[in-house]
This record gives sequence, structure tokens and C-alpha cells, in this order.
Amino acid sequence: MPDWMVWTPPTALVFTGLALLLCVMAVWARFSPPVARRGFLRIETDRGDRLYIGLISAAVVLAGWIAVTDLSMWLALACALLVAVVIGIWG
Amino acid sequence: MTDQTTAVTGGRAHGRAGGQAGGGAAEPRDEPDRRADAKPRNNRAWLLVLPVVVSVTFTALIPLMTVVNYSVQDIFSPNDRIFVGLEWFRAVTRDPEIRAAFLRTLLFSAQVLLVEIPLGVAIAVAMPRRGFWVSVALVVVALPLLIPWNVVGTIWQIFARADIGLGGWTINHVLGIDFNYTLDSTDAWLTVLIMDVWHWTPLVALLAYAALRSIPDPYFQAAQIDGASAWATFRRIQLPRLRGVLTIAILLRFMDSFMIYTEPFVVTGGGPGNATSFLSVLLSKIAVGQFDLGPAGAFSLLYFLIVQIVSYVFFTVLTRTGR
Repeated sequence: MPDWMVWTPPTALVFTGLALLLCVMAVWARFSPPVARRGFLRIETDRGDRLYIGLISAAVVLAGWIAVTDLSMWLALACALLVAVVIGIWG
Repeated sequence: MTDQTTAVTGGRAHGRAGGQAGGGAAEPRDEPDRRADAKPRNNRAWLLVLPVVVSVTFTALIPLMTVVNYSVQDIFSPNDRIFVGLEWFRAVTRDPEIRAAFLRTLLFSAQVLLVEIPLGVAIAVAMPRRGFWVSVALVVVALPLLIPWNVVGTIWQIFARADIGLGGWTINHVLGIDFNYTLDSTDAWLTVLIMDVWHWTPLVALLAYAALRSIPDPYFQAAQIDGASAWATFRRIQLPRLRGVLTIAILLRFMDSFMIYTEPFVVTGGGPGNATSFLSVLLSKIAVGQFDLGPAGAFSLLYFLIVQIVSYVFFTVLTRTGR
């Protein structure tokens, strides 16, 4: 990786995680193709859509958290992951 | 490789079988089974997407990852940087100047929508439906859309000037109203708002016009026979047909006005004071002017998050209206 990208271990970890997540989704889709359905979001989504919506919602939770409270960001991360999982399963 | 070859052959065999079935038209016997087996699975078409993937990687993905890296560090030089975690995000989301710019941009977008959507629909309804004047009206309405953003800014910067600009001079000397967008924040705001209305209402008008043109004549004839007023015709026939395009117009105009940069930068430079410093103007000041990469990175990512959400809604609406 070029120096000018000024990598840090945490950001590298996050991006590796995201890349792995995409790989897992690709492999999963290969073995069991995603099925579109309607959940509490009221729009037709397949699991990839829900992953995207879940990740964006998690980011919103984190951003909102840091904007209004000084409580630990680990708690925020837990809430964000919970939101992403709920959307992923029932969204 | 072997897999692909088999797949291609399978596809061709299926094509031939399909042709025969089409000729005979009475051989549905084992059709479903064959289709399931021999369904062409040639994934080489993905190679055609490769140029896009490469260009997006270099123009969007790598820069975005770099911005993420910036946003968690305090960078003095490439070799002299400190990891600060999420501190810049905390600072940016609590910065009064940035919060004010955020509210200002939201207010601007709201005003843009409130003016441009009804005005665009009104223009579309008023435009002729047939004859020579259709072309004239289309050209006149579309003209502002063809002008580059910075030229629009330059036009309005001169047009609104109190000393030499036609508009500014008229307001000051003919109407007798004290108008100076370089000194008065309300005047500056109005100048930028009216400029945006001038530049982008045509887009709404053209979208709405296209939708209105697609309504078959019998609808209007029926309305006429029933003695419907112009308002009733609009409310019951035209407006329902505009629903799809207006959703798209609202989302497009929200996105564009929320990201507006060039025009206010050219006309007012964000001033006077902070009156027209929208999110993008403030962001470029922090990133390029002060070269504060950390805060600018965090700011960009939050800005990007908002744009990303609206884009997704836009995409969803756009792909679902077709169904």
C-alpha cells in the first residue's frame, strides 16, 4: 500500500473486515442465491440490500452517538451492530 | 476454463433447442428440465465491467479509504502523524460553525424545493402541448441548464451587482430598494437562492412537461365533457400522473442543492460573514484553505453519509417506479 494513503492499523482492520464481508456474501450467494422479500422496512430487499442498509444505519447510529453523548463508543458500536443485525434478519 | 467451455456449448445447445421448439411450437415435453440443466452460465460478461471497477477504484474507492485514514489521525507530515481515534468526528459534530452550516444548507435545500417544484410544475402546465411554440418554449426553458455552474455564478455575480449589474442596478435605482449582496446577508442569500431557481427550475419543468405530454388526450376530452374546471383537471388528471417524476425531481433537487458549491463560491465566496457558507463551501475552506486534513476527513465522511442515504433512497425509488 502506498505511503500517501497514511494507513493505520484500525482503519486497515475495518477495511479488511468489509472486504472479507463482501467475499463471504459473494460465496454465500454462490451456494444459496439471495431471495428478495419484504420485512419491516416495507420494501423488497435481498440479503445484500439489507447488509447495505444495515451498515449505513450502523454508521448513522455511530455518528449520532458521537454528536450527542460522551458515553463510551464501544456501547455505541454494540448498538450499531445490534441495529445492523436486526435489519439483516427482519428488515 | 473447461467449465466455461461446457457452459458455452450448453448455452448454444439450448439456443438451438429453443429454435426448434419455436419452429414446431408443440414440444413442451421436457422443456423445463432442459432449461434448468443447460441454462447458460457464462460469467465472462463480468469482464466487461472491469474497466468500471478499475476506474471507480482509482477515482473513488482509494481516495475514500485515504479520507477515512485522514479522519482518524492528526497529520503534520506523512512521517509525522498521530492516531487520534474518533476525536475529529466528535469535534466536527459538535463544532457550532459546522452545525450552523448544516442547518443553513438544509434550509437552503428546503427553500429550493418549495420554490422550484411548484414553479416547475406551473411552467410545465403553461407550456404549449403542440405546434410551433413547443420547440421555442423547450429551447427557452432548457437554456439555463446548458450553462456550466461557474458561468452561472459569474453571470449572477455581475447581474446582481448594485453598481454595474442590470438586476442590482434596477433594484437599487428603479425600484429604490437598497440591495447589495456583498454587504447584506439577506441579499446574498436571496441572490444565491434566485440564481439556483433560475438555473434548476427548468429541470423540474422539463421532467414535469415530459410526464404531462404522456397523458392521452381522451382524459382531457372527458374532463371537458364533464365540465371540469382547469383546477379540477390539474388536481385529478395531471397531478396524479406527475407523482413519479416529481419524486425523482424532489430527490435530484435535494441532492444537488445540498451539495451546492460552485455558484455560491463564485458569487459570494460564502459571505458576507457566514451568510452563504454552505457545508461544501465550509468543507473546502477547512480542507484546502486551512489544510486541516483530519477534521476535513471526518467532515467529508459525515457529509458523504448523508448524500449516500439520499442517493440510496433515490436509487430505490427510481428502480421501483419501473415495476
